[in-house]
Amino acid sequence: MSSRKMRLAAAVLVAGALTVTTACSSGHSNGSGTPGASKEPVKTTAITIGSADDSKGPAIAEPNAKKGGTVNMIDRDDFSHLDPGQIYINTNAEVSLLFTRQLTGYKTMADGSQKLVGDLATDTGSTTDGGKTWKFTLKDGVKWQDGSALTSADVKYSIERTYAKFIKSGPTYIQSWISGDKYRDAYQGPYEGQHLDAVQTPDAKTVVITFADVHPDANFTLAMAGYGVVPQAHDTKEEYDKKPYSSGPYQITEHVTDRSLDLERNPNWDASTDPIRNAYPDKWHMTFGVQAQQSTERFMADNGDDKTAFSFHNTVFPAYIDQVKNDEKLKPRTLQGLTPYVDYYYINNTRIKDQKIREAMVRAFPHQQTRQLQGGSSYGDYATSYMSPSVMGWESYDAYGINKKPEGDPEAAKKILTDANALNTTITYAFNNTPLQQKVTEAIRDAMTKAGFNFVPKPIDPKTYYDVIGLLNNEYDLYWGGWGADWPTGYTALQPVWDGRAMADGASNYGHVDDPEINAAIDAAAKIADPVAAGKAFAAIDKKLQDKAYAIPDVYQRSLSLYGSGLGGVKYDSLAGLQSPLNIYVK
Amino acid sequence: MTTPTGATTGGDTPGSTSDLADNAPADAPTDSGFRGLSPGKLMWRRFLRDRTGVVSAGVVLFFVLVAVLAPVISMIYGKDPQTHYGQNDPTLLTDSGLPVAPNGGMSGDFWFGLEPGLGRDILTQLVYGIRTSLIIAVATSVLTTVIGVALGIAAGYLGGKIDYFIGRVIDVLMSFPSQIFLIATMPVVTSLLVAPNEKIPEWLPFVAVTIVLSLLGWMGLARILRGVSLSLREREFIEAAKVTGASPMRIIFKEILPNLWTPILVQSTLALPAFVTAEAGLSYLGVGVSEPTPDWGRMIADAASYLRTDVTFLLFPGLAMVVFVLAFNLLGDSVRDAFDPKTSR
Repeated sequence: MSSRKMRLAAAVLVAGALTVTTACSSGHSNGSGTPGASKEPVKTTAITIGSADDSKGPAIAEPNAKKGGTVNMIDRDDFSHLDPGQIYINTNAEVSLLFTRQLTGYKTMADGSQKLVGDLATDTGSTTDGGKTWKFTLKDGVKWQDGSALTSADVKYSIERTYAKFIKSGPTYIQSWISGDKYRDAYQGPYEGQHLDAVQTPDAKTVVITFADVHPDANFTLAMAGYGVVPQAHDTKEEYDKKPYSSGPYQITEHVTDRSLDLERNPNWDASTDPIRNAYPDKWHMTFGVQAQQSTERFMADNGDDKTAFSFHNTVFPAYIDQVKNDEKLKPRTLQGLTPYVDYYYINNTRIKDQKIREAMVRAFPHQQTRQLQGGSSYGDYATSYMSPSVMGWESYDAYGINKKPEGDPEAAKKILTDANALNTTITYAFNNTPLQQKVTEAIRDAMTKAGFNFVPKPIDPKTYYDVIGLLNNEYDLYWGGWGADWPTGYTALQPVWDGRAMADGASNYGHVDDPEINAAIDAAAKIADPVAAGKAFAAIDKKLQDKAYAIPDVYQRSLSLYGSGLGGVKYDSLAGLQSPLNIYVK
Repeated sequence: MTTPTGATTGGDTPGSTSDLADNAPADAPTDSGFRGLSPGKLMWRRFLRDRTGVVSAGVVLFFVLVAVLAPVISMIYGKDPQTHYGQNDPTLLTDSGLPVAPNGGMSGDFWFGLEPGLGRDILTQLVYGIRTSLIIAVATSVLTTVIGVALGIAAGYLGGKIDYFIGRVIDVLMSFPSQIFLIATMPVVTSLLVAPNEKIPEWLPFVAVTIVLSLLGWMGLARILRGVSLSLREREFIEAAKVTGASPMRIIFKEILPNLWTPILVQSTLALPAFVTAEAGLSYLGVGVSEPTPDWGRMIADAASYLRTDVTFLLFPGLAMVVFVLAFNLLGDSVRDAFDPKTSR
């Protein structure tokens, strides 16, 4: 065949293909409910403080669970840190539950609710002066992986070493509560033989921590993985990040960076001392580098080792959400829940000082459209408050009727703008320049333009996004950001983001809200010892923030994830927004 | 330093231009009497005999017409590429943004279906997307041709230091890894052209993509023209022109250029589809034309993640792209055959 004929044949073939209709893709249904409806009330996951009885081991057993086997884990990224002092990110914290213990921790009850209980400590600590001095007593029989006893000196040492220079990425709450914001100047860590007087060990079982001020929720702070214990005898400083010494049910056998992490049982862990960890499997094999699309496809296929696999962090890839939700076979191994994260569209309050304009922005914002682009109701529940429903004391309050009109109310916004004589106000919107965010920006542009704003979108390189919007003198009026509480009380949900004194380049107060009334209210609420009363006080601050329209809360983030059919006891940890490893067993 | 090894664009170089040079207008008949067919008419006849060429010319013409008449099509069809139909009407898309109706939401209202997510109409997106592709590809072709012609003839005719300098510039630019360079320069060019706090005007991505593509697109043509004009320079009719005292400008424009139309036309018709794909490639990688301007490359990139759940979304832009580029390439081939039947391929 001559080349010319071949070309003609090709041209005809392609022309013909154009007329072929496609019959290879079927329609999509909404599962339950109508599109975008999802107006079911947000379920609150109340956290309570457990008693000394609750703090006794062993953990609440899973029905039908059995011991043994190997559990696989597939995730996108390796754990960036394993040294407790360096752990702030939720995935790192979740895996370290398997080999590092803290003074306190969260116990999952039989009904799925969570309680703060003593982990190494016999209870959640006691304080006699409203939260300035905290006393913890260690349990009998808590040991390191070599069988030596875990003492109060180890706890003291673990807090001391968080002052060291090489500890860069962990939480800094306890340090700054003891020694002030410049805590590293006050004390340089235990490596040169100096000790921290604020942490006292009257005997081998007792730890007493004294803060400069009252912090009634410090027992929640100490439940952070960042305050896990590290033994002085085995502290290898920077090297410790690669292979931490175990105080929990498992120890690390091998860790190949960015490839795999293998755990085996720690023979010296005693289940009767541990109210939190069930530790059913004998081994854990974790592999990294699996993207969300891949892991979703693997879980759906459910072949070979993937049958006994779960994933801490990988959620269902957005394009598969409908398929996963409508597949009856997948239903038993689908996990859904609220994460601790609230997404906001921050309004830059240094640039937009007129409350009326901010209110118009809140009313005009197209929550439904932006959410649909990002996965619909599996992406999150429409947010009205600044705190997440998982925070203690959260109250439902919807100042602008967002739940009634999640698609935005351009007419109402336009009316406010007209009354304020502010039609065509320019809104410069900074966004992550990704294909998805370009589409989200389109939806926002559509709504804001309808409401009478002059909308100017500004793409920003995703790598530098937070650096750019973190500048106090940034030139944008509106930008996306999220915040998750470090522990479920109002203080960490609100203070870092909405306290005007926390404003700085790169700090979390992206909206530049500096309202003396709110600052004072946060101070007052932080000192309330009674958790219920403190929760009420923070809920009141939340309402005030809403009334003044300081930002646009968008969604309480949700998570939708899958795991293999060969596993049982896989639960969703709503405090971290991840799959929890603590009750998993191989069927 | 190595000297250029001649044509790097492979078989695109015309093997010989001598037959056309002999028929060049310089010695064309001045009286319109009976002297056989002009080279243009000969070429046209040869082209008409090539059925592939005619079919692809028809397809290309169709695409151009669609691009030109896009607003009319949109008006008759009753949809436009910017409205978020799926978001305005909750019965069209599911909660997570996939079309409710089968086959990607194809229906009497939306002939080619709906885009998942925003729910825009795919047919009008495609129709307006042709405009984007064509405007950029044509502008880039024109720009690269002008630069290539100017620099190529200058290098070939003037020779000496100028030839050496242009030759080295071409070498350097050709040694750039073009894809990586394009990705790296796009944001820079965009930020150079727009103040940090201004709205990015809709024409800007067009200009930026055109500039970036042109910057690395002119060297092939320039090299070919340099070689051809280098050989023409030594020919008798140029010598004659020199002797009669013609200025270099006159020699370049009146004596050399008319002999170069064949390689120029062939090169630029073949370059056009290459620029269409290059532009789509840039958009596919997320550095090309941005929302809300419809663009094929970006549509294909978006559709890739719906391959398993909504394949219709990939089908239409993918097919349109294949037909468009194929037709242009075949047309380019036929034009070359018609101009220069002796070329063996």
